[in-house]
Amino acid sequence: MRKFSTIASLSALVLLALSLAVSASAAAGNTSNHAKPFVNVAPAALEQAPVSEAESDQTLHAMHDEMDRARTRLQLPGVEKPFYLEYRLLDLDVRSVTSSFGALVASSTLRDRFMSVDVRVGNYHLDSSNFVSEDGFQGFLGSTGQVGIDRDYNSLRQDLWLATDQAYKQAVTQMSLKQSFLRSLSKPPEIDDFSQEPPVVKIDPRVEPEWTTRNWEDESRAASAALRNFPHLNATRVNYYLIYVTYYLMNSEGTTIRSSRHLAGIEAALATQADDGMPLHDYYSVYVAKPADLPDPTTVAKSLAQTATELMTLRQSPLVPDFTGPVLFDAPAAGSVLAQTLASSLSGARPPLSTMAAFDEIIQRMGGRSEWTGRVGTRVLPANVSLIDDPTLKEFNGQPLLGNYEIDDEGVKAQRVGVVENGTLRNLLMSRRPGPDFQSSNGHARSATLSDPQPLSSSLLLQANGGLSAADLKRKFIDACRDDGHEWCLEIKRMDNPALTSIRQEDFSDFIGGVAGGVASGERIPLVVYRVYVSDGHEEMVRGGHIEGLQLRALRNITGIGSDETVFPYMQNPSGGFAGTALGAFGSAQGGIPSSVITPSLVLDEIEVRGFHGEPRRLPLVPSPPLK
Amino acid sequence: MKPTHRARVFVIGTTILLSACASLAGAGTAEAPTPAVLTAMQDELDRSMAAMSKGDPAAYFISYTVADRDYVEVSGSNGALLTTTDTSARWLEVQTRVGDYKLDDTHKLPERQPSWTSPGTTVTLDQDIPVLRREIWRETDRQYRAATEALIKVRTSQQVQVQTAEGAAPDFSSEAPRVSVGPRVEIKVDRTPWEARVRKYTAAFSKSPAVLNSIATFTVLGMNQYQVNTEGARLGFGQVHYRLELYVQSKAPDGMDINRYANFDWLEPKDAPTDKVVFTRIQTMIAETEALDKAPLVDPYAGPAMLTGRAAAVFFHEVFGHRAEGFRQKDINEGQTFTSKIGEQILPDFISIKDDPTEESFGGQMLLGYYPFDDEGVKAEDVHLVDHGVLKTFLMSRSPLVDIPHSNGHGRRQLGFVPVARQGNLIVSSSRTVTNEQLRQQLIEMVKKQNKPFGLLIDDIAGGFTFTGRAQPQAFQVLPLVVYKVYPDGRPDQLVRGVDIVGTPLVSLTKIVATGDTPDIFNGYCGAESGSVPVSAVAPAILISEMEVQKKETSTDKPPILPPPAHDPEEKGQHQ
Repeated sequence: MRKFSTIASLSALVLLALSLAVSASAAAGNTSNHAKPFVNVAPAALEQAPVSEAESDQTLHAMHDEMDRARTRLQLPGVEKPFYLEYRLLDLDVRSVTSSFGALVASSTLRDRFMSVDVRVGNYHLDSSNFVSEDGFQGFLGSTGQVGIDRDYNSLRQDLWLATDQAYKQAVTQMSLKQSFLRSLSKPPEIDDFSQEPPVVKIDPRVEPEWTTRNWEDESRAASAALRNFPHLNATRVNYYLIYVTYYLMNSEGTTIRSSRHLAGIEAALATQADDGMPLHDYYSVYVAKPADLPDPTTVAKSLAQTATELMTLRQSPLVPDFTGPVLFDAPAAGSVLAQTLASSLSGARPPLSTMAAFDEIIQRMGGRSEWTGRVGTRVLPANVSLIDDPTLKEFNGQPLLGNYEIDDEGVKAQRVGVVENGTLRNLLMSRRPGPDFQSSNGHARSATLSDPQPLSSSLLLQANGGLSAADLKRKFIDACRDDGHEWCLEIKRMDNPALTSIRQEDFSDFIGGVAGGVASGERIPLVVYRVYVSDGHEEMVRGGHIEGLQLRALRNITGIGSDETVFPYMQNPSGGFAGTALGAFGSAQGGIPSSVITPSLVLDEIEVRGFHGEPRRLPLVPSPPLK
Repeated sequence: MKPTHRARVFVIGTTILLSACASLAGAGTAEAPTPAVLTAMQDELDRSMAAMSKGDPAAYFISYTVADRDYVEVSGSNGALLTTTDTSARWLEVQTRVGDYKLDDTHKLPERQPSWTSPGTTVTLDQDIPVLRREIWRETDRQYRAATEALIKVRTSQQVQVQTAEGAAPDFSSEAPRVSVGPRVEIKVDRTPWEARVRKYTAAFSKSPAVLNSIATFTVLGMNQYQVNTEGARLGFGQVHYRLELYVQSKAPDGMDINRYANFDWLEPKDAPTDKVVFTRIQTMIAETEALDKAPLVDPYAGPAMLTGRAAAVFFHEVFGHRAEGFRQKDINEGQTFTSKIGEQILPDFISIKDDPTEESFGGQMLLGYYPFDDEGVKAEDVHLVDHGVLKTFLMSRSPLVDIPHSNGHGRRQLGFVPVARQGNLIVSSSRTVTNEQLRQQLIEMVKKQNKPFGLLIDDIAGGFTFTGRAQPQAFQVLPLVVYKVYPDGRPDQLVRGVDIVGTPLVSLTKIVATGDTPDIFNGYCGAESGSVPVSAVAPAILISEMEVQKKETSTDKPPILPPPAHDPEEKGQHQ
């Protein structure tokens, strides 16, 4: 085995963090900035023959035998035995191809397997988890790591043996640190550490990768070549990801899960600079269930050209001045705003105890605290609005949903959860980590790359009584504008997705530097914004605006709701650190958790948009070289 | 979380690399047709310099480096395949210096930690000149912008800060440009037989219950590097390097980590080690692991010690070589052991040391630290560092010292890092040699004379360059791994563990009293400020009159509670 963290040469793609919906069926969906469904996906599992039966799966055998041995015999002298053991294993096949302006940048096919072992001592009420401390057990190998890809019995047992041993020693050390910390508190928390849930056994067929006979390198070249017609584009990247995963989960309570998941996606980033020096970008993305469902290169090229054309219009458009007033968020923009503002507050799990004051502070500052815990039964949204998260939903209006799964990453059956009913908070999303309001899981534990599962949304639906037609909503919006005394108001058609628009590491770092610190300010970045004139309703694209102060609470000011419920599919970033920001909300196919928000267009009142105030970057000293 | 992924992506692009290179074999042949990438580089270089040399501030030097890296890795662990990959990537680095040779944007500021990573980016693999030019153009603009901002800070700091003597050296040296474009190298590797081999090798380790974890890694690196700069340099050269590494982990009963490591390096497929050779090494590693597990901890000791050639080679690399790197003499945070010692006796007068990257092999064995041009486009030079014990000069990159104004072709880096002065092939020679058997005899006599109960024989040392890439000890840490007590009364040597050298290891070098007559070679990757670079060290066995050692702190992590699954007596028959 190899440690995750210590292998410097571990390739990035090896670390493709992925976590597709736990479902062998219909984990599908798509998105593009032009929101047109490309394909309808039939359940994959039905088409593809099972590779092997559970009986011959040496991975399951090795997990079972080593867990059995650990459960009966793993004990340090004079120390308690584990009360809970859990093995998770990720078996990955990933193809990834990147092109730029019609030329190939990278192409790889990787096969990898990773394991993660969790051992707990104590009991369900008080165990070794949910505790962060500076000290702790420093093992020589750790409880996670890369394991052999042969799917053989012997090497996996060896790796699980060492990882289990390390995890047990970690648990024992954590437990003793935690107990001494608890003694120092005047009032120790009364909430259980771990919820008891009925064991689930579900062994789905393992799905072998189907790369198809399509030449992905040529397709990515051909698709991205369309961008060569746009000499003002400074840089572009078109990424194809084809991902197959088999997820194994086994625990000492009797749960055994094997599920295959797959996803294929295209993500493209385009960058340019306006004549006044302002850097601008745009993106395109599409996600489907499997490689064969990806659009052909001609279709992708067409979409990319449309995106580029939009970006070219943007670079010629006037700057937006500062503005405060009603803003119409078209459905895809509304989906993005909901994903960003709701992300950290849907979870009902309590944060871990920590000996470090700084830890608490960081979580707080980064917006990692749920604003909704402790507020169940109170009004949090307008009275006609309901919010539901439903992982069991396979499609919406015929469009497959990315976030669909049957069993969550902790082996708990997925449940539809009515979070907000007619404006009143009724439920929160739960994993097996209890919180102050709810003590049991409702099947929402999700993780990427074997990270710690957290309660996350899957398919989040905003529903309202009395949604208006597009024309009526627009009229209402313009009326509100006029009543407010504005000559024009803003309509946001799409929001930015920094996880997809950063072409380079530095772009991303710039973004983190710029936004992460300002989480508390509720800064949100729109991508495509139009000025809508009250006089005659005509529209004009504008650029450079940032929304400020758009927090969860702003959703109480929803003053207009359309009837155009639209699926906004995205890859959710599982990191807790930047929760509540676009960064926290969004990942890419390489590392994100497939999710959707389904919402109609929304009008929000009193939105503050700040125009561009800084020093614009100077233009390149040397004009760009010819692209052809 | 996202930033981590991105960071890893970056690491990937930049792992392992080399600067070493070119087959001079191609030197006699006609110059190859200009590769597209070189054309694109030259076009953009000319355009950029024309504009930026008139910019404010003006650029005075621009260089482009493109590294085409083809990399094959096949690794196995505990009898199973771990990874098997074949990747190609093209990495672009742009350096845009503004100001002048004396004072430019790279000038080190006391309040600013220098950044060791150089900006760069992955670019297209295709021979598509317009796309390459666009990538180069964008990167050049980015670097020029960054350099401009940096120079403002440097100038401000100059006005308010007291200047140190070291700071009086210019920031950059001008060098004679070289033009040499050799043929491209290609790698063609069938991974299948190696997949079987790494399974087989690690399965062999699993036969020993003492081996907790084993990894075997086969790698092939084919690297073609292109460089142009505004001084007129125009280089293209390539090299292929094959490597097999074996690594095992164990734990002594008291929890001390036991590691054994072995590597094989070769340049031509026909020179790959045979199974027989590898299995022999595996058996040795298993035997050493099992013996180390049982070996007693060393007692605190001061007395004579002998280092075998390979141990001495690593020792010289770590304790002398790194201190002879020129940039350290400039940095006030460094120990600067030798900064003012040029012309002084620093080692016994029978010891001479050179660093010669121009040597491809030594006594028929390949030298990993060979390269024709360094990573700043300067021709590699044979540098005589120590002549009969007297320090003569330092290893130099293009960052000059007050008294050493030019590079001697030792500016090296791993892709993605800023080059600094590094070792290539460090070669230690001696004019006072005896046979290794006589050297051992001298050790015993010295033990008797000093009235010590035993002497030490150090056979293997872990340094920064034996374990790079695996979170192992970094440069300068010198940890003897295989150490024997040698008794004066003829008893067999006894293996001990947990040996930690006390005090400055450098002092030990001044106490060398004699050397063996057979140089040993160590090939490895050395990790330091500019990343991991391939190096060699060559030295004879040495006898040191006094070395002080103590017990190393042991890990608190005890050996696993349960026996290995394959060696569990209670599980007979269950293993498959």
